[in-house]
Amino acid sequence: MAEVILNNVQKRFGSVEVIPDLSLRIADGSFTVLVGPSGCGKSTLLRMIAGLEDVSGGQVTIGGEDVTGAEPDKRGIAMVFQSYALYPHMTVRQNIGFALRLAKRPKQEIKERVEEAAEILKLGPLLDRKPRQLSGGQRQRVAIGRAIVRNPKVFLFDEPLSNLDAALRTQMRVELAELHAKLGATMIYVTHDQVEAMTMADQIVIMKSGVIQQSGQPMDLYKRPGNPFVAGFIGSPKMNLLEGRVAKDREAIVFGVRPEHIKVSDEGGEWRGVVRHAEHLGSDTVVYVDAEKVGALTVRLTGEVPLRAGSPVWMTPESGNVHLFRADGSVERV
Amino acid sequence: MLVSEGVAAAPPRESAFQRMMANGQLKMVLIFVPPAILIFTVFVILPMIQAGLFSPYKWSGYGPVPWALNEDTGRTFGRWIGTTNFERMMSHSAFKQSLVNTLLVIGVSIAIQLPLAMTLALMIYRSSRINTVFRLIFFLPYVMAEVATGLIFSFVLDGNYGLSRSFADLMGWEKAFFPLAEKPWAFYCILGVIVWKYFGFHMMIFIAGLQSISSEVLEAAKIDGAKTLQSVFLIKLPLLWPSITISVFYAVLGGLQVFDLVMPMTAGGPSNSSHTLVSYLYNFGFIRLNIGFGSAVGVFLFVVGVAFAFLYRNTVQRGQ
Repeated sequence: MAEVILNNVQKRFGSVEVIPDLSLRIADGSFTVLVGPSGCGKSTLLRMIAGLEDVSGGQVTIGGEDVTGAEPDKRGIAMVFQSYALYPHMTVRQNIGFALRLAKRPKQEIKERVEEAAEILKLGPLLDRKPRQLSGGQRQRVAIGRAIVRNPKVFLFDEPLSNLDAALRTQMRVELAELHAKLGATMIYVTHDQVEAMTMADQIVIMKSGVIQQSGQPMDLYKRPGNPFVAGFIGSPKMNLLEGRVAKDREAIVFGVRPEHIKVSDEGGEWRGVVRHAEHLGSDTVVYVDAEKVGALTVRLTGEVPLRAGSPVWMTPESGNVHLFRADGSVERV
Repeated sequence: MLVSEGVAAAPPRESAFQRMMANGQLKMVLIFVPPAILIFTVFVILPMIQAGLFSPYKWSGYGPVPWALNEDTGRTFGRWIGTTNFERMMSHSAFKQSLVNTLLVIGVSIAIQLPLAMTLALMIYRSSRINTVFRLIFFLPYVMAEVATGLIFSFVLDGNYGLSRSFADLMGWEKAFFPLAEKPWAFYCILGVIVWKYFGFHMMIFIAGLQSISSEVLEAAKIDGAKTLQSVFLIKLPLLWPSITISVFYAVLGGLQVFDLVMPMTAGGPSNSSHTLVSYLYNFGFIRLNIGFGSAVGVFLFVVGVAFAFLYRNTVQRGQ
């Protein structure tokens, strides 16, 4: 377990600047999720922590030790890749024990530690199979087993669930959160899926174009987004971000209100509109409305609401849940 | 017996032939397959059968077939001699030498050419401009015609005006050095040219194999603590095994067929010391008008080639 500190870290590929200047502190034992759209530099940052990419400038510290120029295996990290990156010619047992074999640990110790990792991940019956004989979820578990067996100070995950189907992804999310609770190790997790970020992290770092937009606890980011980008990125369906008169009237450049913070009535309200499409999810109803004066709005209503395309509705933003993003970068919540 | 009404009878199952007719596959098969079968039969199957039929005859090649009657002499063109051609071949010192030489070609290909190709492939498989230039340079010898390559090296190794002359001058030797005319040197020169000419081909096979290895697997190995050589021997080479088996297959079958390089360089000399099986066949079968004998050598080559291919594919390459 260790604290990870990035001090003014920079990354350039030739003349392209991917990460201009980034500083971040990842607390010991935290589950930190780096999240952002494709090409925002989150994977590059993770690879720089792993030592798979050189750092163009700045300093990387793991557990108080400067590892900026250190080889990946000397950093006390383990990494789980998107494609699992299992060695296809080795059995599960050999895959998990490979790092120990390279470290020339005694055979008995390798056996015990591999079996211990397999026990944690319920891989016992699969130890003598080759990766091609495993399902996607089992492969992912082996990849995690390979990380666990090294007793790393920091676990790095590079979009580990994106190759799994939706049901398995949900299951693995829970398993990873449980694993974090069990091991108590520092984990850094990269994803572009904000649901993964919200459900697993105790610290979320939102990135765009190599710059941290905001970092903090998931609910903090949800309730108090620092700018329209963060506001739009966190939350599903995404926040309604309205420009134009509705914002100008309140001396803001963007007026933000989450779909779940809009009240709907057929009698009266602030904005009038017509339902364009409604998604009935059972537990929720997501309604897409063309509203007069403000344009397209998304509204999320609890439970099954009998709205259909063409239904006229009135909408009112809940007070206390409106985010006004000012030109000077400040945010007011009214 | 009650038959429920209103249940539609299952449509009759289409046969594979009907399916092919319907989707146009049959037309394609009829257009493309007969020419291929015809060409393969005329140029491969028939000559193989002929060689098998000619091999028990002493026949100079005159007349349509050895067993046809020559009306002028009242005898057949050839004479049935049973297994004599094979016995002669087996006891012929030049044949034994050519067999040893062919085995040498195969040995050198596997022991020197493939490791050389692998080393270079490991050095230049990553995509970069300079690596592309090196790949082109190393592959160039393979593109050249064999006879042209042989001729070029016969000039290079000429004691009067080739590099061999410069080498002899450099060493201060008084006598001219003709390595292709020296028994201890001639075949080793051919071996050197074979390695030079074909390593690029194997290098390309290995490069293709290396490029198909996932970079994440190699990075995972790096994080696990694998150093460069450990990554080569524990990850890259095992994952390249299918490419290696293909390369060995080509090296062995190619080694059995070496001919075009030998003819312009040494023509099998001096004193039949640098023949390969095929150049031996050509010299002692066709040049000396012993078609029956040449056919016997051909049958031997065929049997060795087929036996190797069959065994190799059913053992080493099994399951690939």
